[in-house]
Amino acid sequence: MLRVSLRNLLVNKLRLFLTVTAVTVGVTFVSGTFVLSDTMLKAFDQLYAGLTSGTDVVVKSEAAYDADIAVTGGQVRPMDDTIVATVGEVPGVAVAEGGVTGFALVLDQQGEAIQPGGAPTFGTSITVDRRLAGAATFRAGRAPSGPHEMVLDARTVEKGGYALGDPVDVVLQDGPRTFRLVGVVGFGETDSLLGATLSGFDLATAQRVLGKEGVVDEVDVMAADGIDAEELRDRVAQVLPAGIEALTGAQVAEDGTQAVRDSMGIFTTIMLVFAGVSVLVGSFVIWNTFNVLVAQRRREVALLRAVGATRRQVLTGVLAEAAVIGLVAGGTGLVLGVGLAAGIRSLLDVIGVEIPTTSPAIEPRTVVAALAVGLIVTMVAAIAPAWAATRVAPMEALRNAVPAGGGVGRGRLVAGWVVTGTGLAALAGCAVVGDQRWGTVLATATTFVGLVLAGPTLARGMARLADHGPRGGGWRMAARNVARSSRRSAASALALTIGLTVVAAVAVTATSLKASVSDAVSGGNRSDLILEPAGAGLGVSPSVARLLRQREDVADVVELRETAAQVDGHASLVTAMDTAGLDRVIDLGVESGSLDDLAPGSLLVGTTAADDLGVGVGDTVTVTFPETGDTDLTVVGTFGRGSLIRASYVMTLPDFSANVTSQLDGAILVNSTPGTDPGRAKAAIGAALDDYPNVTVNDPADITRKAQQSVDQLLGIVTAMLLLAVVVAILGIVNTLVLSVVERTRELGLLRAVGGTRRQVRTVVRRESVLISLLGALTGIVLGTVAGIALSRALVEEGVTTLAVPTLTLVVYLVVAAAVGVLAAIGPARRASRVDVLRAITTE
Amino acid sequence: MASHRAPVTPPTTAGVESGDDVAGEYAACARHAVKVYGAGDTEVRALDDVTLELPPGQFTAIMGPSGSGKSTLMHCLAGLDTLTSGQALIGGTDLASLSDRERTILRRDRLGFVFQAFNLLPTLTAEENITLPADLAGRTADPEWLATVVSALDIADRLHHRPSELSGGQQQRVAVGRALISRPEVVFADEPTGALDSRASTELLRFLRSVVDDLHQTVVMVTHDPGAAAYADRVVFLADGAVVVELLDPTRERILDIMGRLDD
Repeated sequence: MLRVSLRNLLVNKLRLFLTVTAVTVGVTFVSGTFVLSDTMLKAFDQLYAGLTSGTDVVVKSEAAYDADIAVTGGQVRPMDDTIVATVGEVPGVAVAEGGVTGFALVLDQQGEAIQPGGAPTFGTSITVDRRLAGAATFRAGRAPSGPHEMVLDARTVEKGGYALGDPVDVVLQDGPRTFRLVGVVGFGETDSLLGATLSGFDLATAQRVLGKEGVVDEVDVMAADGIDAEELRDRVAQVLPAGIEALTGAQVAEDGTQAVRDSMGIFTTIMLVFAGVSVLVGSFVIWNTFNVLVAQRRREVALLRAVGATRRQVLTGVLAEAAVIGLVAGGTGLVLGVGLAAGIRSLLDVIGVEIPTTSPAIEPRTVVAALAVGLIVTMVAAIAPAWAATRVAPMEALRNAVPAGGGVGRGRLVAGWVVTGTGLAALAGCAVVGDQRWGTVLATATTFVGLVLAGPTLARGMARLADHGPRGGGWRMAARNVARSSRRSAASALALTIGLTVVAAVAVTATSLKASVSDAVSGGNRSDLILEPAGAGLGVSPSVARLLRQREDVADVVELRETAAQVDGHASLVTAMDTAGLDRVIDLGVESGSLDDLAPGSLLVGTTAADDLGVGVGDTVTVTFPETGDTDLTVVGTFGRGSLIRASYVMTLPDFSANVTSQLDGAILVNSTPGTDPGRAKAAIGAALDDYPNVTVNDPADITRKAQQSVDQLLGIVTAMLLLAVVVAILGIVNTLVLSVVERTRELGLLRAVGGTRRQVRTVVRRESVLISLLGALTGIVLGTVAGIALSRALVEEGVTTLAVPTLTLVVYLVVAAAVGVLAAIGPARRASRVDVLRAITTE
Repeated sequence: MASHRAPVTPPTTAGVESGDDVAGEYAACARHAVKVYGAGDTEVRALDDVTLELPPGQFTAIMGPSGSGKSTLMHCLAGLDTLTSGQALIGGTDLASLSDRERTILRRDRLGFVFQAFNLLPTLTAEENITLPADLAGRTADPEWLATVVSALDIADRLHHRPSELSGGQQQRVAVGRALISRPEVVFADEPTGALDSRASTELLRFLRSVVDDLHQTVVMVTHDPGAAAYADRVVFLADGAVVVELLDPTRERILDIMGRLDD
């Protein structure tokens, strides 16, 4: 039997290719995701291990909880720098040096900020004892010394076009300063830390320019010879006051890797969702392909049965064929996944995220996952067709049976409509009730299952609609073919449905988000200008706000800062703003209490958050800051329009500063003095901030546009990823068409014999393909739109306050789907038009 | 049907040489038709200098043992296959001078076909199958002619059924209906009764006879059944790719007689 299966596979290489590809795409995503994240983790492991290799013990403040490092920058409460001496006196300590880290933005020689996408720009103290620096070594020059010297990482030196001895402008927390470049730092073989820019100073200078006079963020300790790191840690810990901990270098490295692992978690999840979509689509294609194959091989199977093959052998034979396809697809996907991972890494490198070089990490788990996904998906998808094959009666070998689509049971029909109806009703319910993420996903999945059941009926309905016009070559014949093999048509179409459902849902949600942004700006904003850090910068120096307050053309300056914190135990983003002028720059939409009561010791809570926490005006909430721990604040008001500044909690700046070390502003909201021309105010302020090239001056329209652009970018990336799933679906359609053309050779030959031109034959196949594509696209777009509406309603808290359906985009998708149908039909149609008329009509 | 004995006549090659000026008198015509399959050792001469004229309004049967070239001759005359050399003409049109597309159009507009089996597209109803050539041409079938054909076929009540819902005989009659719908110059029938039982065969043959007699159509039928060939006005016998003998006003006995002699 196995030999028969293998031979079947090799007979049609095109079909094998199409079938394998259907699964391969999904497997590629799976293995690519694993390889990429494993490779990056391995690289970071090596990097952290290298950086901490000279450090045996690190002393730093304990964090109240592990907050998102992307928001807090990993900042812990600084310690009084007398701790350095205390630690240094512990027996067994060879070297103990204090270190600080903070914000430092390097400008290039043209005065533009060197700000790689997404990566931080930080300043740090450089250890005197080079042994503590581990793998961070001087590629050129020497360590900085004194208030006018600095070192830079090799990548920033290259980007800025600097040479040793050059003056370098750096924007610091308290404004711009100029230093002389005396050294270039490299990190093992890498030029930068993840693409971050690093400015190094001696400790005293770093403390001053990073706003950390008299304090240190950590103490790095090296043990004397013969002293074990754990042993030293325990000794050091005994002299530390409460709230300060000692960790071994290995622990710090591990924590660092863990943080990277956490932040990669989201990326991994998203990639795996794409993988899941592709795999699902692929499984549909496989299912369908095997259905068609079994239908076409009924006589062959019957012959096997007649000469004595058992049902079990028939089942095994089909499943063996599936297993071979699955393994080939899994293996191919694994190889392609390694390539995909390499591709994404180069892409990240291009946008400035430098990933330490290391060989690709192919963990056994990745190999197992790739092969298992390929194998299991294919086998599961082939089970039903394989089972159908066992039901072929030996007698069919003797009859001139024409494979027919077969009727659809009434039970399936009823179940299909019931499940579809239930799913759609549930989706509508989710949309009406709102805030139902998992409900939406579940209802969408349910509806899809219903569509699978009702698919053949839908296909026949679609065919009935198209069954008009000239009977000969036109839509009618194509429609009849779709209706005849309605199961097959529906299965091909549903593969497309999956991709388009997700694409449409994402499009609706993204459009709603864009509309929401625009509404938030026009509805909540009262400021004339909003100053923000450019790109993904950490923040704006508070000196910018000071500078603005001195200007005569500026009436209100409201600083805004934010950090990660827990409110009554719920992780959230906490915002702080100047109270003076707050209501003149933004309309928070206060619903209860009063903005006037906002003072140190109190806070405003967004309505949704207040509902979730069950608090109201007069209640007390506990805000847990990562650096300082618990602070009790009294709720003095609730507000409904926080989405412009994506705030759920608003407190005062004094309370914020008491708990957060970073003094950078996340944004500055500005009102010009009455009578100032808005355009000129923007230009004037922009010019005045020449020394701060990382600050962008935006009017409300700019803010809207920037936000919408980032939504568009995201939408673009997501759509591009999902397009792969659509490509798989197209391959499925091609596969189905090729198989049905083969199956209909005699019909096509007859059509040609009685006067159908090649072009007419091609037209029939093409229109059949278009009908299948449109069926998939229509169901996908309708389901996706409804799901997108429900999803938008579920993301109100995330700022999706307005609902918008991108009708034009959806129509474009539909047109594209029809075009895709035409494309998919090119090969099969050509094959159909080349049918040998004589052979077709004279066989048997 | 006439059943008098007719003399065995030699192949009518005489006069064909001057056929150019009388081209219009023949519905279809083969001149020195040669069809060679393969090359070298495996060369097979399926048709070896066949010259044959098919006058309009006549029912011609082509007979011969397996491999005699009778099907090849029909396929070449009908524009389904091309000759290696020689001419195949429909009306005055030399098929060799036509492109594949032009031959397709010619089949659609000027010829009719009935095959042994699988004549109908399963997705189309009986009526849609009948009007298929007209539909392919983007025309509406002449309703009067359609009515005439349908009433002759005696399947008026089955017009909206799919082929799978028709008996074999009904299916073949629908196929004849389709062959007639464009008032073709020649209807080619390739073993049309091959898959039918004797009752259905008789009905179909009578019907083909009436197509010639009443509707004045030209029918060429390839068959190996002497009973079927006896319905024709003329029987042409082929052997080894050449016309060996012709029989006018044939009877079953005369045909069997000749077949017996050809087998020797």
